[in-house]
Amino acid sequence: MSQSHRLPQGGLIDRAKPVSFAFDGKRLDGYAGDTLASALVANGVKLVARSFKYHRPRGILTAGFEEPNALVELRSGARREPNVRATTAELFEGLEARSQNRWPSLAFDLMAVNQLASPAFVAGFYYKTFMWPAALWEKLYEPLIRRAAGLGRAADAADPDSYEKATAYCDVLVIGAGPAGLAAALAAGRSGARVILADDDFLMGGRLNAQRFEIDGNSSSSFASSIVAELRSLPEVTLLPRTTITGVHDGGVYGALERVSDHLATPAPHQPRQRFWRIVAKRAVLATGAIERPIPFGNNDLPGVMLAGAVSAYLNRFGAAPGKRAVVYANNDDAAKTVGDLVAAGCEVAAVIDARGDAPALHEAARACGATLVFGRTVARAYGFQEVSGVEVSGPKGDSFNVPCDLVAVSGGWSPAIQLTNHLNGRPKWDERLAAFLPGVTPPGMIVVGSANGEYGLRDAFVTGARAGAEAADSCGFSGPGFQTPRLLPEPEEAYGDGPWRPTIKRGKAFVDFQNDVTVADVELSAREGFRSVEHLKRYTTLGMATDQGKTSNVIGLALMAEITGKSIPDTGVTMNRPPYTPVAIGALGGAHRHKEFKPTRLPPSHFWAEEQGAVFVETGQWMRAAYFPRTGETDWLQIATREINTVRSKVGVYDASTLGKIDIQGPDAATLLDKVYVNAFASLGVGKARYGLMLREDGMAMDDGTTTRLGENHYYMTTTTANAAGVMRHLEFCKQWLWPELDVHMTSVTDQWAQYAIAGPRSRDVVAALVDDGFDVSNEALPYMGATELTVCGGVKARLFRLSFSGELAYELAVPARYGDAMIRAIVKAGEPFGICPYGAEALAIMRIEKGHAAGPELNGMTTGADLGMGRMMSKKKDFIGRAMAGREGLADSARPVLVGFRPVDRSARLRSGAHFLPKGAGNEAANDEGYMTSTAYSPSNGHWIGLGFLSRGSERMGEIVRAYDPVRAGDIEVEVVSPVFVDPEGARLRA
Amino acid sequence: MPEPLLARSALRAHVAPEIAAPAPGVVLRERTDLTLASVAAFKGREAELADAVRSAYGIELPTTPTRVAAGEVAFVWAGPGKWLATATGPVDFSTLPAAVADQSDGRSVLSVSGERARETLATLIAIDLHPRAFTSGDAALTHAASISVHLWQTDDAPTYEIAVFRSYAATLWRWLVHAGQSRGIDAKL
Amino acid sequence: MRIACPHCGLRGVDEFAYFGDASVTRPAADAAETAFADYVYLRDNPAGAHRELWSHALGCQSWLVVTRDTRSHAIETVEAARDVALARTSEAQS
Repeated sequence: MSQSHRLPQGGLIDRAKPVSFAFDGKRLDGYAGDTLASALVANGVKLVARSFKYHRPRGILTAGFEEPNALVELRSGARREPNVRATTAELFEGLEARSQNRWPSLAFDLMAVNQLASPAFVAGFYYKTFMWPAALWEKLYEPLIRRAAGLGRAADAADPDSYEKATAYCDVLVIGAGPAGLAAALAAGRSGARVILADDDFLMGGRLNAQRFEIDGNSSSSFASSIVAELRSLPEVTLLPRTTITGVHDGGVYGALERVSDHLATPAPHQPRQRFWRIVAKRAVLATGAIERPIPFGNNDLPGVMLAGAVSAYLNRFGAAPGKRAVVYANNDDAAKTVGDLVAAGCEVAAVIDARGDAPALHEAARACGATLVFGRTVARAYGFQEVSGVEVSGPKGDSFNVPCDLVAVSGGWSPAIQLTNHLNGRPKWDERLAAFLPGVTPPGMIVVGSANGEYGLRDAFVTGARAGAEAADSCGFSGPGFQTPRLLPEPEEAYGDGPWRPTIKRGKAFVDFQNDVTVADVELSAREGFRSVEHLKRYTTLGMATDQGKTSNVIGLALMAEITGKSIPDTGVTMNRPPYTPVAIGALGGAHRHKEFKPTRLPPSHFWAEEQGAVFVETGQWMRAAYFPRTGETDWLQIATREINTVRSKVGVYDASTLGKIDIQGPDAATLLDKVYVNAFASLGVGKARYGLMLREDGMAMDDGTTTRLGENHYYMTTTTANAAGVMRHLEFCKQWLWPELDVHMTSVTDQWAQYAIAGPRSRDVVAALVDDGFDVSNEALPYMGATELTVCGGVKARLFRLSFSGELAYELAVPARYGDAMIRAIVKAGEPFGICPYGAEALAIMRIEKGHAAGPELNGMTTGADLGMGRMMSKKKDFIGRAMAGREGLADSARPVLVGFRPVDRSARLRSGAHFLPKGAGNEAANDEGYMTSTAYSPSNGHWIGLGFLSRGSERMGEIVRAYDPVRAGDIEVEVVSPVFVDPEGARLRA
Repeated sequence: MPEPLLARSALRAHVAPEIAAPAPGVVLRERTDLTLASVAAFKGREAELADAVRSAYGIELPTTPTRVAAGEVAFVWAGPGKWLATATGPVDFSTLPAAVADQSDGRSVLSVSGERARETLATLIAIDLHPRAFTSGDAALTHAASISVHLWQTDDAPTYEIAVFRSYAATLWRWLVHAGQSRGIDAKL
Repeated sequence: MRIACPHCGLRGVDEFAYFGDASVTRPAADAAETAFADYVYLRDNPAGAHRELWSHALGCQSWLVVTRDTRSHAIETVEAARDVALARTSEAQS
């Protein structure tokens, strides 16, 4: 029978729009406006899940985001999503949901045998079992636990949907769109302030939709929709339904998750599935309401046991009856509303059981509907197979009787939803009268109103909300007419209830935390075993963990512990909450930035040309660099790099060096600044000359290196390594602004301004000569090694030409404005064709620099000094520079420190590996014998065997000695000869050719 | 004699896709006609620079994050004592009494306009672009999802111009197109 | 966290790079090695107000001296580091 529990009328669902969905493969119908939970309720489905540990049958406990039980798997395939709360999932046509944590089926779950073994699964079971023997962990225990435990299954294909991140600013952020939030938003919005109203529900109004009041002569739900309509008409008010504020961060920053398309089968074209907002608010009004608490009693987790407020919500908002014959069990007068709602919906109220003594409002409601009224007694247990069929009521004298029913509406009082007030470490305070935690120190700029502040009355919600909204706007400089509290009927009841926390008679498991299967007995065990503070209680029993973070259970667990230990609740501790308030998918936090768009990609000027050449690229930081340029028939990268190197060393090659950091330095104190940051002198550098420079950190370790050219008296052009460009720029600004503020010098990044190509090889001068315009002389005399000049190329394009070499060959670097970079590389290749030019990539360069013994990233590793790098003599004794003092420390000046030298295998066919450590021949494989380590290795085409660079203790004094390169990780132990780090042209004759 | 070199934008359709929209909510274009230069005042010569800019271009150098334009030339505040000089067409800023570095090739300038430009930018740029906070003539140095940008608003359409390091231009274009797709973006190179 | 750059206004912390203690001063070139060792390595770890250097790295490139309460992240003042450094220099000279 379809929708057997749907009421004939009422509710805020659209009965004209039926929606068909499936639960565990069974086709069911609901209406637009339903949640999955309300549609299941309307169809009389009570059993919806199996519990985490004992696999007990579970139903729907709540009607909101605090739901611990009714977690389902939604959608299928790549969109399959586990642990979706059925109570917040909006129904859409074709929705597929499946119960989880059961096998083979929900009604017949074999894992429920865990219940029989439940003594083994008590609190802390994972600390006690599966411990010995340790050998069984990996093979037996872990796979076993993994199969049995956990909630739901993640999708096993990539998420096909997109996500978005966005930033929003407002004067007033209102969190929660119940009566207090609506009043606050309207009071603030009417002033003209920029207001954002966020609510996790798709229908704004909170309890105005879930409960029945008469407001200004209309239903409370229509009053809510009229306020929402006015808010929508205000241009500076932004409404964010389906949006949960997930975190409060320093400086008035709030995280918010907007479920843009979760209510659709698939997102509309180009629409994100979810959007993660960073909201920057000058003021915030917290109007998150309160969360109802269950009462522990035996089998209080049976499907059909539901919180009273949720029962009202299903009846009033969704026109769905969670049961036909109800028992209401409460410790406060607020449950009177549920009694009234049940009666109004035509449900039978079999009994009203009040744990307190005589209390008028609830009892009045019971009498009015003719229900059996019991007070001063508690429910000992619920009974039934897979769903509730009655309760056993106990009295103080041990007597008891049964009341048959198919629904138990429970209200153990309310806990203000103050989680967000904890996020900046504000500790809540316990209120004895309300038996609840109230906000303590609130985040700066936040006002808490209505039920979230323990002001449960509807009138209080409107009054405190309106006042806070107006005040918040006022403090931002906006004033308006505010919001007048409307005429209300009836005046709501007090909602606070104190206990009973602990069932007087123990019959069956009495659950505190439904999601983690933590029972009253587990809390008692935790106390007995000495885990009595709230933090220990949480870790030992897992109370308050997982997706619901104990929203319905924390206070009960704490109160139980207090009762057991005879302490007060504040003395037992407080539960603190951290972001996120409700679970947030990692995808939403990443937004659009995933896969290849995870980080930006920087393209050098030759990129499009290199693509045309079929280059294989390598990511270097954010840069895409051509690694090598395969030619027809070439498959192996080393074969290709070898061919490129051989061409450079015998003819000529071209390489895009534009990714190097380039900094333009100008000003009367430019030379002074350079002398302070480099170990060597630059004031003495002649105009039109370049010099290699080494920078240290203040602790004496090498930071970066590069060449700097003096373009004019007060004008230098610095290059840095690709990886450190931004860091060096920041360092220079640090020196200029903080260390030596008197300096008159300016740095500007010109990395992207210039396309800079290295043209290297014995024929490079011929190529360059073919490119420069008439009248410019590039001969060795006019432009010697380490010379630089400004000229024009290719018919008037201004360029800078440097006689620099990283490859060790006769070489130039030619820089042109980046817009000409694409044309320039084509022109260079064309001009080089007669000389046999080939482009070379980062792999060839990396090998050639090892052949020349140039230090790079693996050598400038943050642990090496200038002396270690063999540049001790470069360090000026005549001037102060950053790192000078610390580089002179005894430990760093120790002559036994490992220094940079070269290595070649004694067996020339052997392969060298970076990371190997050097041990003396015949010494044991012990750390005590360690003499240094290999940093860079390569197969050298120029030498015909593997070569390496590394740091060896007293290495420069040990030329010709044989040591072992020991690499236990890769089972390597080979003999290597200590040699000069310069494997090609050690005299540097080619550079100066 | 080699052939003359052809100037090229940093953008190509395969890395910076074009999208046509009939009634676009946001329009994305590249400004390829701008001359750009970083200008920084030397110590004690700030007034000399201000005078030179005033007499050459009729522009009062801004000292707050704003952009002051006159005719084809504008000066955009770029940090204390620093500006980005812009001009439509070729203008030689190197004669100014200051540290001047040509940036015409160092930056690509993207123009983002239309009634949904603001919300498109809000997915990448974390500063407040609401008209109460940022308006025509305002400028900011900030970032677009970690890419350094220098942006300014030129009119109330609104139109924003975003100067970005050239090597990042394709990525920024792509990210803007992605964000703009749900908002009806018209992106044309 | 948000930091009020004296030049650019309030910006998210993701625009800034943290450097460290602003209360230490680089010793003069001729200072003893121990003075440099203190400067490089020795730091107080106050629970409360802490003067620290930040760079507005994804903004105007200014170095800033931020006075921040390490317990609450509340920021008391933000000054341009160059102004603080110039004041320090002129103080040392007078």
